[in-house]
Amino acid sequence: MISQAAKESFERIVFQAARTRLTMNPAHACEVERAAGHEPVGRGTSAQVHVLTIVSIGFRIVLMLQFADDEATRSYYAGQTANRALPEAALEIGNLCCGAINQQLVEHFPDLGMSTPYTLSSDCMGYLDELDPVHLAAYDVTIEAAARLRVTLCVCASEPIDFAAQVADVHESAGELELF
Amino acid sequence: MRRTTLRSNRARMSARVGKAVVLTNSMLALAVTAAGAVAALAAFVAYKRASLCALREHSEALARMSGAHDESKAHDLALLAAEQMRASELSAETQRLSDALAREADALAQARAALAEAQARHDDLLAHAARIASEAARLKQLAATFERWHEQMISLMAQNQDMHRKNHELARIVNHVLMVSLNASIEAARAGAAGRGFSIVAGEVRALATRSQELSKSYRDSLDRNDLVTTATFQDIQAGGKMITAALGSVESLAQQFQSKLERNST
Repeated sequence: MISQAAKESFERIVFQAARTRLTMNPAHACEVERAAGHEPVGRGTSAQVHVLTIVSIGFRIVLMLQFADDEATRSYYAGQTANRALPEAALEIGNLCCGAINQQLVEHFPDLGMSTPYTLSSDCMGYLDELDPVHLAAYDVTIEAAARLRVTLCVCASEPIDFAAQVADVHESAGELELF
Repeated sequence: MRRTTLRSNRARMSARVGKAVVLTNSMLALAVTAAGAVAALAAFVAYKRASLCALREHSEALARMSGAHDESKAHDLALLAAEQMRASELSAETQRLSDALAREADALAQARAALAEAQARHDDLLAHAARIASEAARLKQLAATFERWHEQMISLMAQNQDMHRKNHELARIVNHVLMVSLNASIEAARAGAAGRGFSIVAGEVRALATRSQELSKSYRDSLDRNDLVTTATFQDIQAGGKMITAALGSVESLAQQFQSKLERNST
């Protein structure tokens, strides 16, 4: 249902989006590693997960971001954006990240749509199989060796997916903030 | 000319007659006769010569005139033949031009018919382009439908959150009942034989509280599962609506561009 090339392409796109959109400054160091499980990141596990969806005609991608509920992460995201609360900053950051993924995918799939973000309990992450995904991958992101979050990619498809994305630099204006 | 010759002959004869008078009268007559004969012969010869000369000149003139006539006739015939050939060529050319004109007229009629057909097709395409643009614009109103689904899904999610809160409160109550039943069991044990009946009741209450706790946990799991599926479905509908709206916008834009191009071509 999904080719290896497509899985690798999704991974390259997520890596690129994480490095360009999850950092508050492009110069900040950003490490992205593939995670083994789907549990929230340790050291102050997050009770919430921010969910966004990108849909195409033949598939949908559910993107979940779990920001670590610790001081380092809070001060990185909330402290640098006019003292906003982390959940508020997380919604905007998640939206930008999803927008970057959408921008990369639109080169291969002309018909795409992106949802607004929604926040759920992290307990919901245990039921991803209910979505009947064809591809499930989780990535641990560490920024400036302090802020941490987990990005989970859940791809559900009704048609075979096969494409090869050559990731280029994402334009700075990508992504839009859409809130409920 | 002949008169001139006769006069000279008469003069000569008069001279000779004069001489013959001198000779003899007999000889004179003979001489006169002979002279007359000679003169007549000479005159005749001269006449013949003159006639022959005239005849020859006449024949020559006639021959020249005949030659000239023949030549003129031949020339005229040649001219006539050339003119006839020219007329024939002109006739053929006229026929060819007439045929060509007929063909051109036919082609023109066909071109006019084709032009009229193309114009009709063009008008039809223009009307279709306008209809497509209009339909696409109308279908973009589906966004209102997507917005309605959006609101309903928000309402559904709010209900889920309310059920989470109630289940959480229920779980707290059940935990409290469990603690109370545990305390009751402890107090019943302290009471000894008098508290035996109460101990049985406390045990039942604890068992019910434990089952309620398990049920509450199961209910919470169901709500979590429901949250994820509902949210994913809601976002699928919402993003799908945006995808369809964007696609319809693209169709509308293309139809308008096509319509504008057709209108520009028709002017």
